[in-house]
Amino acid sequence: MSEILIDPITRLEGHGRVHVFLDDAGEVDRAYLQIPELRGFEKFAQGRRAEDMPQITSRICGVCPMAHHMAATKALDDLFGVEPPPAAKKIRELLYSAFMVEDHALHFFFLGGPDFIVGPDAPKGERNILGVVNKVGLEAGKEVIGVRKQLRDLMAAVAGKAVHPVFGLPGGISRPLTAELQEQAQAAAARAVDFGGFALQAFRDVVLGNPDYVELVTSETYTHRTYSMGLVDADKQVNFYDGTLRVVDPEGREFLSFAGSDYLDHVAEHVEPWTYVKFCFLKDVGWHGFVDGADSGVFAVAPLARLNVTEGMPTPRAQEAYDELFATLGGKPVHHTLATHWARLVELQYAAERMAELAADPEILDPDVRTLPTATPEEGIGVVEAPRGTLFHHYRSDERGLITSANLIVATQNNAARIGMSIDKAARDLIHGAEVDEAVLNKVEMAFRAYDPCFGCATHTLPGHLPLLVEIHDPAGEVVRELRRD
Amino acid sequence: MRTLVLGLGNEYAGDDGAGILAVRALRDELAGRADVVESAASGLTLLDVFDGYDRAVVVDSIRTGRNPPGTIVELGLTEVGPVVAPSIHHAGIPELAAVAERLGLGFPGRTRVLAVEVAEPPTFGAPLSESVAAALDELGRRVLEQIEAWDTAKGEPCTTTTP
Repeated sequence: MSEILIDPITRLEGHGRVHVFLDDAGEVDRAYLQIPELRGFEKFAQGRRAEDMPQITSRICGVCPMAHHMAATKALDDLFGVEPPPAAKKIRELLYSAFMVEDHALHFFFLGGPDFIVGPDAPKGERNILGVVNKVGLEAGKEVIGVRKQLRDLMAAVAGKAVHPVFGLPGGISRPLTAELQEQAQAAAARAVDFGGFALQAFRDVVLGNPDYVELVTSETYTHRTYSMGLVDADKQVNFYDGTLRVVDPEGREFLSFAGSDYLDHVAEHVEPWTYVKFCFLKDVGWHGFVDGADSGVFAVAPLARLNVTEGMPTPRAQEAYDELFATLGGKPVHHTLATHWARLVELQYAAERMAELAADPEILDPDVRTLPTATPEEGIGVVEAPRGTLFHHYRSDERGLITSANLIVATQNNAARIGMSIDKAARDLIHGAEVDEAVLNKVEMAFRAYDPCFGCATHTLPGHLPLLVEIHDPAGEVVRELRRD
Repeated sequence: MRTLVLGLGNEYAGDDGAGILAVRALRDELAGRADVVESAASGLTLLDVFDGYDRAVVVDSIRTGRNPPGTIVELGLTEVGPVVAPSIHHAGIPELAAVAERLGLGFPGRTRVLAVEVAEPPTFGAPLSESVAAALDELGRRVLEQIEAWDTAKGEPCTTTTP
């Protein structure tokens, strides 16, 4: 059996590898993604003060520190049995929405962008961030950077710019919002709302205007009919910061609705001998392998899954974009993995509008932003929708508030089974024999880049310039060919 | 010349924190001469950090597999590419520079990367390995040497952004 190894070599053990095994006929026997685990975190957390978890966990990932900070803060609310005042919740969600806008913008334009904006078949020298800038234009490129900077400045001003900022506390946040910061937030939100429109238009022009791309997005190679999971509010509409977990089946019908604190009743982890990654599945259905369909407990999280889960969008412009997406792609639910890029922009629009709503809310200036905890801590679970999907933080502590156990389920774990299936299917459809060219490998990569998987929640390269090592082994295991793409 | 000394990594994750610890130890010594910044971030997020500086020293961990752990590797911006196997966190710095230039954003005209070779993938709660711990003083000294070299090169001493 031959093996093709796609290895982002710059990160060695820190990042994932794609293995493609060929049979004697040169066809793909099996392909999978290996993601290293986040080693030692649980042990590291033991004995630490629970209040330090938002700071500690925000260092797990160089890309989405805010998601970990917020999930940890919410777990502390639960651990200490304390309800934050309304203003504190709104300021948290305001900040979280700003983060979602900037992260989604970054991903679409610069990380996923090379696939669509520049094009999957473009020469590798152009399939990078500069290629994106050249394609969308200098002014648009500046706007992407400019919006992000304005949002990041706001986040720094609200949450603190110090090396170890303290923002989220059990029962609230560290300081109220000033009128000046509210103005800053309103200005940033207004720009973000406009930017959302611009981004969606860019998608229409570049992707929807190209029949080849539409065919690629909707092709069977990139399609998996699985369950979808996401947080929703009381109206069953998407919310990134808080709510109830809702699961819809592959037909889009509600299958489950549960509080984050009950996640262990519904989400279990399947273990395979070849990887440290634990594959999350729905306990209510059971693990039946890496397969599609209503009889398989495999589920999806992240932007497209969230749109499949929500009963419409809570804000008007996002609702229009949502309607357009489902109308264009043949109705709800949509299972085309590559449509995740489009869903990300619908969500960007929603996050921006939600940010504007919160920034305009007079209650957000209420100086009461902290409810002091008085209960004895025991166990706490916090859930948010991270940009890449549902994120769980689960802590137990002793009566002094020292952590006795900590468990994190990150978005990429929730998605892990579906990501594996996506790679396997793309490899089977696209690779025939060991003579694999650049464009084919890139199309296999696209199958997992749409999810923007965070490997081990450790660090991050700039995909679109993801260097790969491909080793092709003959049936005796000898390397007969090495293909490197820097 | 406004000068940045940027330490990258995660101080909670063993050798991954080498860059952070190395620059932290230089804070007093560099006061008034360079801004010392610690960051766990990576990729484009760092664009904001570089903006406004003329010179930068990036201090990081690196895993080339070609040197014994504890070896200090020095790279200029153009050498930091997949060919040399970039460090754990600064991967993307050449892209950052290119993007900054294309979009007319501020980016230090001179950037040096000083990184210490590490062996293990990051493990939470692990201490620094012996060989990396032993290299930290040398790493700090190399940072100071770079600052001094810039100071004397053209008679334009290094300063902070807020003198």
